[in-house]
Amino acid sequence: MNYINEHLGIGKAGNLFVILSFVFALVASISYFLASRDNEEAASWKRIARISFRIHGLSVAGIVGTLFVMLYSHYFEYEYVWHHSSKDMPMRYILSCFWEGQEGSFLLWTFWHVVIGLILQRTAKTFEAPVMATISLVQAFLASMLLGIFVFEHRIGSNPFTVLLRNQPDFANIPLFQNPHYLDKLDGRGLNPLLQNYWMTIHPPTLFLGFALTVVPFAYAIAGLWKKQYNEWIKPALPWAFLGVAILGIGILMGGAWAYEALSFGGFWAWDPVENASLVPWLTLVGTAHLMIINKNNGQSLLAAFFLAVLTFVLILYSTFLTRSGILGESSVHAFTDLGMSGQLLIYLFFFLILGVYLIIKNWKYFPRQSQEEGIWSREFWMFVGAVVLLVSSFQIMFYTSMPVWNKLFDLHKAPAKDVIAFYNNWQLPFAFITTLLIAVGQYLKYKHTGLVEFLKKIAISFILSFALTIWVIYMLNFDKQYYSILLFSSIFAAISNANYMVMVLKGKIKKAGASVAHVGFALVMLGVLLSTSKKDVISRNTSTKSVSALGEKFSDDDNILLTKGDTLPMGKYMVTYTGKRAEGINIKFDVDYFLRDASGNLKKEFTLSPLVQTNPRMGNVAEPDTRHFPTFDVYTHVTYADLEKIKEEKNENKDEYDVEKIKSLKRGDTIFSSNAIIIFDSISTNVDRQKNKIEENDIAIVAHLRAIAVSKKYDATPIYVIHSNMVLPIPFELEPLGLLFTFRKINPSNGEIEISLQEKKSNTKDFIVMQAMIFPYINILWIGAIIMALGTFLAIVERIRK
Amino acid sequence: MKKVHIIIIIIIAVAIGAIFTTLNNTSTYADFGEAAKEPGNEFHVVGKRDKDKEMVYNPEVDANLFSFYMTDNNGVECKVVLHKNKPQDFEHSEQIVLIGKMKMPEKEFQASDILMKCPSKYNDGKPQASK
Repeated sequence: MNYINEHLGIGKAGNLFVILSFVFALVASISYFLASRDNEEAASWKRIARISFRIHGLSVAGIVGTLFVMLYSHYFEYEYVWHHSSKDMPMRYILSCFWEGQEGSFLLWTFWHVVIGLILQRTAKTFEAPVMATISLVQAFLASMLLGIFVFEHRIGSNPFTVLLRNQPDFANIPLFQNPHYLDKLDGRGLNPLLQNYWMTIHPPTLFLGFALTVVPFAYAIAGLWKKQYNEWIKPALPWAFLGVAILGIGILMGGAWAYEALSFGGFWAWDPVENASLVPWLTLVGTAHLMIINKNNGQSLLAAFFLAVLTFVLILYSTFLTRSGILGESSVHAFTDLGMSGQLLIYLFFFLILGVYLIIKNWKYFPRQSQEEGIWSREFWMFVGAVVLLVSSFQIMFYTSMPVWNKLFDLHKAPAKDVIAFYNNWQLPFAFITTLLIAVGQYLKYKHTGLVEFLKKIAISFILSFALTIWVIYMLNFDKQYYSILLFSSIFAAISNANYMVMVLKGKIKKAGASVAHVGFALVMLGVLLSTSKKDVISRNTSTKSVSALGEKFSDDDNILLTKGDTLPMGKYMVTYTGKRAEGINIKFDVDYFLRDASGNLKKEFTLSPLVQTNPRMGNVAEPDTRHFPTFDVYTHVTYADLEKIKEEKNENKDEYDVEKIKSLKRGDTIFSSNAIIIFDSISTNVDRQKNKIEENDIAIVAHLRAIAVSKKYDATPIYVIHSNMVLPIPFELEPLGLLFTFRKINPSNGEIEISLQEKKSNTKDFIVMQAMIFPYINILWIGAIIMALGTFLAIVERIRK
Repeated sequence: MKKVHIIIIIIIAVAIGAIFTTLNNTSTYADFGEAAKEPGNEFHVVGKRDKDKEMVYNPEVDANLFSFYMTDNNGVECKVVLHKNKPQDFEHSEQIVLIGKMKMPEKEFQASDILMKCPSKYNDGKPQASK
């Protein structure tokens, strides 16, 4: 069949770029390899290599450009375009569509490698050839992820330019494709509405730039091993390593901020496998960078620096494998599904792991060694300890996160425990304590040897100040968690002593203060994390169920509050009222007003929060939180349950009518529920006012004594069972204030059970939501700390490059 | 002995500690039968919601209590009491993972958490002609 209006040419162009990018990455890698040898041909190989890498870079730019044009022009004949975009989607989300899919995100990663590679071509000088050989090889592997060709019936990569929608096996028999004009009627599936926000525009490029930057220390380390320049690689690689620390750190915290603002995790960090997968390489990268500093200053810790540089890059590959192979399955909220590339990723991972480890082992005996051991009062010794702590910390996180991998490898059936977050927190707290403590004292220690008296003199003031401040904070915040208070102290100590170092030792010379500023920032991040997490206050206790406890039953007093439209309930220090819901596109917003009592005791409205539920056509209904920010705390809310069906129901029915009856058999003491009360059956008796109820002398009359317990009041209900000349003629009891109607239907003499029918007025089923609300105190310290940390790191990088 | 060696020994000790506590701090995927044998232990049970049996959720009374019936992968049915709000979209769930303990002798599964997999129609739309 000839399809009309298809744009197959642009796909062919895109595919050509894909092939070119792969081939020239390979050519660049081989020629850089040959160029790094010491012979006459090296210079000409280098020329070829440089040109090849630039052609590779142009091809990647070509792929990116082509894919953009396709997305921009809505060429839905391509599966990728159809899958990730649609006509009605605002153009500002075009970047998000671009990297929503796996192919796009690999492309983003590749793109950053190209940028880094082009900079290294200009700056790496003698290291250019060996470093670029590795980077080009990495690029060849990444480019192969887009090839989409079959080799011995194995598909290599997934190519957005060659997969046409109508050729997708899943859609083979769809009648639409019988029509040659199918494109006129086709719209894309669109970008997942959950991802249609600015975070999706800024978070992935930042994170992938962070990922990409880890390749530089790795490539330098490989070059150092290979060319036996065991110490020389450190200096040029160091600014890159710290740039990676800054960018990857920002990317991770951005992810946290996104989760906090737009996803209903109930916080900024949930130890989710995907979060861990990027945190762990960051920790090892921080370790790598600090070991490199040690080596630069006195030539020690070389083996560890090599090892961690290789490990960091391999961990980046491993986390890519974890998130893209589908192995995490249900244990993570945002893992990609398998595109059949996990085998390829594993080959890639093991190739670079084995390459790195092989080169380290082979060269180990040649490593320059320091004749004397570092002293216990030296900066390098404690920096080394810090790097080791980071390594152990990341090992603990990675081992637990990899549980699905162990399950698969060893055929286990282990599932994560219920309280994963507490488990991680308890394990990581000592590591965080030691790390912040080392940050506090590190700068005051000198390389080689520090005079103990001098050291103590300098640090004493910070120590005393921090100790006093910690005690004050514990007292002021009523901080009762002793286990956490050690981290409280060490974080405050780290912040104060680094700030003090800037003033006292560096005399405010801002150029040299990069490290101190970054460390103050990190300490503040830890402090913000600690305070907002450990003092997190769930204020949505179930205040509406006071009457439930009257039953003496075990009702869980958990973290949700029920808000009925119009009612005002206390929640923490606030009084809250649910005022109603409104639809905005696919979002349904629930407006909740917050009041505080003023001096005269009157309720004064403070603010309104509108947490929403998105009726997401792709994922079902997704709750999104709404948060009110104050300088010292945040009020964070999200809807956990709302009856969305009711919105669709027509509203013209008579609200005063009674609904269908529910018939219940009851023993004494049994309870039944209505929508607004709990009803307890107490007893039956013959104590009936016959005149008032117009019951004749010979009739049998039995009354059931029921108690209805509503939120604020108790009522009695007494339906009567009457037998009038062998006929049952019950006299129902109407409980007006609650809109309930009771009828005594039957009595069972053998077991004493009675049958009661209960009817409710239709107006009883009021609109309500179930909601969670929590207060995160001092979370702003975290965000401020993050900004300071980034600024400090950039300052340090600029200073290192200037040198 | 060098300081480095001491550090290495400490690392190994902590790492072994991490491995063991991690392995102990897990629950196990099981079915209702296995969960019933060890009522005190926490399990993850995978199954499907029983569509014919009643679901009870009275948020007016207790917003954190929801009960329903589930059939596990071996076809064994059990009443489930979830100590949480009824998950939004529960009716549409295809597969459920419960986390909790079996309560004996009532044979009620007391779940503290629930994970749901929604049907694939959410994940994969098919190309359709627009109007």
